[in-house]
Amino acid sequence: MIELKELTKKFGNFTAVDGLSFEIGTGEFFGLLGPNGAGKTTTISMLSTVLLPTSGEIYIDGMKLTRAASEQKRKLAVITQEYSMRQDMTMDEVMEYQGRLYFMPKKEIKKRSDELLEFAGLGDYHRRVVRHLSGGMKRKLMICRALLIEPEILLLDEPTAGMDALSRRQMWNLLRQVSGQNMTILLTTHYIEEAEALCDRVAMINRGRLQKLDSPRALIQELGEFTVDETGDGDLKSTHFTTREEAIRYLETAPADSSLRQTTLEDVFVDVAGRKLI
Amino acid sequence: MGIITVLWEKWVEFRRDFYKITVAAMISPLMYLIIFGLGIRTTSHGEPYIHFLVPGLVAMVTMTGSFGAIAQSMSVQRLYEKALDQVMVSPTPLWQFILGQVIGGSLRGLYAACVILILTIPVRHGLIFNSLSFFIMLLNGMVFATLALVLSFLAKTYSDAPRFNTYIIMPMSFLCNTFFSTEEMPDGFRQIIEILPLSQTSGMIRCIANGEAPGAYGFIVLLAYLVILGSISVYFIYKKKNL
Repeated sequence: MIELKELTKKFGNFTAVDGLSFEIGTGEFFGLLGPNGAGKTTTISMLSTVLLPTSGEIYIDGMKLTRAASEQKRKLAVITQEYSMRQDMTMDEVMEYQGRLYFMPKKEIKKRSDELLEFAGLGDYHRRVVRHLSGGMKRKLMICRALLIEPEILLLDEPTAGMDALSRRQMWNLLRQVSGQNMTILLTTHYIEEAEALCDRVAMINRGRLQKLDSPRALIQELGEFTVDETGDGDLKSTHFTTREEAIRYLETAPADSSLRQTTLEDVFVDVAGRKLI
Repeated sequence: MGIITVLWEKWVEFRRDFYKITVAAMISPLMYLIIFGLGIRTTSHGEPYIHFLVPGLVAMVTMTGSFGAIAQSMSVQRLYEKALDQVMVSPTPLWQFILGQVIGGSLRGLYAACVILILTIPVRHGLIFNSLSFFIMLLNGMVFATLALVLSFLAKTYSDAPRFNTYIIMPMSFLCNTFFSTEEMPDGFRQIIEILPLSQTSGMIRCIANGEAPGAYGFIVLLAYLVILGSISVYFIYKKKNL
């Protein structure tokens, strides 16, 4: 279990994360949603101990997470938004370095590394230097590197950023498979449909503050499952309704180009954040 | 265990860039040897100047080799590649990571010194380099590898690494007992220069090279730098808010 208690991070006068508190259960697929600059990456960076909180604490299975907490860190693997690895190492070396940092026996590193690289379709390139890989290959390598150590907790910071639609779907499938192995996953994303497709629960943050926390289904129900979109003077106005009947009644009085549709998690976020996500 | 991991990483780096590292270690000392030792032929205290110069150059390359190996690599890993994140999140104790970097950096300095010792075989007749000399080189390398760590944790941009080299390493190379004795410096300035680690290293290696025993003072100075800089780097990696 991961617990964030009043987690705050300030950079000078700017507060990136402001008193964030929530719990993530063991085996849960948890989404942290927010627009650019909401504090998602800062939160992940505190969970990976690269940044230390200004105040507040993080607990992993009841034990406080610090830079010296090797026992807690052994459970964690991170896939960062940037390609955070040695660019001058080969894929094999990147994997071996990771295995060594987690005290894995050399034979096991080799065996699991070969399996994972093969699984990710990178088997033919294992001696290629990272610098010479495409963006997609680097992203896959980062996933292989994280999975090498069989983590109990996987932190994913915008793992599909910059990916084409097909690669994103492949990534989703991979994450679903991994999630089925009782791994706790924290996913940050600004692709709302990604969180809706994958997450058991989502926390919506904006300007570092927690706005909403529940399952995607419950959040949509709370807002109203049906939405009428009206376009007037070029502006899109969405109105939400609990039942289809209410929505249809409203639609009958609305302008001619109005339409009825199912409410999405994005509507919830727009309602919460007060602005459209990218 | 974590120390071995870092040394393995340094070995991978060394193996890949072997020729670049070797040539880089040779170029500037070779230039100094040619210009000051062979071109401008002179004497110092009745001895060929090259006998004064070689121990100084050996000390200098342990400094530049160790400092360069860590400052460049750590700055790139921390600020550009973000590869340090991989270490921070791992269970490897961070003090072991620091110690591994210090030893790895020092070994790179020692390698550079060995290259110079081999190159100068034809011109350094009678100079003694024994196990104590190598220990001093290793110690000096550790001091500068630790200094490089501290500075790379302070660096805000990737271009800060070469700046540290210009502001700190280059002045030390010229002033700290490498090309001329600190005894020839004016009072006040001399005392400041003499307390710097490279001055002590050059002095001790030169003493041994001339068949004399170095005093304990030099060791104390180097150990003091190592303890202070080591403590700062450990403090930074555990406590610095934004790495």
